Amino acid sequence: MLSVSLPAETIFYIGTWPVTNAVFMASLVVIFLVVLAIVLNKKMRMVPNGMQNLTEVVIEGSLGLMDDVLGSRARSEKYFPLVFTIFIFILVSNWLGLVPGVTSVTVGHGTGAIPLLRSPASDLNFTLAISLIAVTMVNVIASSVMGLRHRASVFVNLKSPLGFYVGILELISEFARIISFTFRLFGNVFAGEVLLAVMALLVPYVVPLPFMGLEVFVGFIQAFIFGMLTLVFIALATTPHEGEEVGH
Amino acid sequence: MQQIFSQLGINWSLLLSQAVNFALLLIVLRIFVYTPLIKLLHDRRVRIEDGLAKADEADRRLHEVDLMGKEALKRAENEAVALLKRTEDRAKELEARLIGEIKKKEDEEAAAVAARLRAQEEASRRETEKEAAALVRRAIIRTVELSPEAVDDALIARAVKEAGTSA
Repeated sequence: MLSVSLPAETIFYIGTWPVTNAVFMASLVVIFLVVLAIVLNKKMRMVPNGMQNLTEVVIEGSLGLMDDVLGSRARSEKYFPLVFTIFIFILVSNWLGLVPGVTSVTVGHGTGAIPLLRSPASDLNFTLAISLIAVTMVNVIASSVMGLRHRASVFVNLKSPLGFYVGILELISEFARIISFTFRLFGNVFAGEVLLAVMALLVPYVVPLPFMGLEVFVGFIQAFIFGMLTLVFIALATTPHEGEEVGH
Repeated sequence: MQQIFSQLGINWSLLLSQAVNFALLLIVLRIFVYTPLIKLLHDRRVRIEDGLAKADEADRRLHEVDLMGKEALKRAENEAVALLKRTEDRAKELEARLIGEIKKKEDEEAAAVAARLRAQEEASRRETEKEAAALVRRAIIRTVELSPEAVDDALIARAVKEAGTSA
């Protein structure tokens, strides 16, 4: 019996605080990455080997990509933590959610049985939280680099009627960003989960495999897009427009 | 609005949980990975650049030392050749001087020998003269004993003289 639930299911409460399977899985991802980070940190050497090599290649590559967008290594290193954490968190969440059998562990009995784990991005709370953080951080970074007054003048411009109108549009586009961030990621991952569930129900063997490969690719692309868009928004917000001066 | 949110499963506490998850991950990764790893990459770059610069410097120095060595060898060779030539010259000079000295000594010795010979000759001639004179005297005495007349001292002297020249 195939049942698709749009909201994540609550598996237990801490006091009155609900914990859904998506939140539980996201916490496991955090624990996994934290353990990995600590192990990496303890084994960090001037002459790299194994995991450190891989990490260095990934980080150097990401920094190189960011250099192309931001124009300098110093800026890349400044914004790297936010952008890369968004990327790696979404990527690992998506991929761990695809591991076969991850959704097979259930709690409860009979028709009330719900999966213990659920791909975090198939729950809107996860995608909305990261979207809000990303858009908020873009504005915080822009305010600290360009000055709060300058950042506010992007949205509230009283110099001319046209400028005022453009300011309103900018304000709307900020919210549009949050919504597009949220639903792009959610839509792709949720649709992927549903697709895989449906394919597995129709033809249990072999046939779902290409779709699995497709979802691995989608999982990477969505993480990449989320990080890349955050990076582009940072770049746009911290680059003075033509004829403007950088305030402090 | 509230209804849409609840239908989509959006819930403040869940939203906050996920935000905390993300924030936690960001902080931990920043402390344990990003900051130390980027610093490590910087340090390694600096060390590699340093090492390359040092290697270049070493190459340059080695080349200089090589050139210096070659130069020194050449100079030493030149000096050795000059020294040999000087020694040869001096040897020749010495040889010439020695030969000269030997010749001079030989000449002196020859002269001394000649002088001695002459002195001996003189002495023997005097001896001969003396003997001749004695002989003549004895002959004269004998002659006188046989015929004491007509014997003149002057005649005797002339005879003696003649005998001296003929001797």
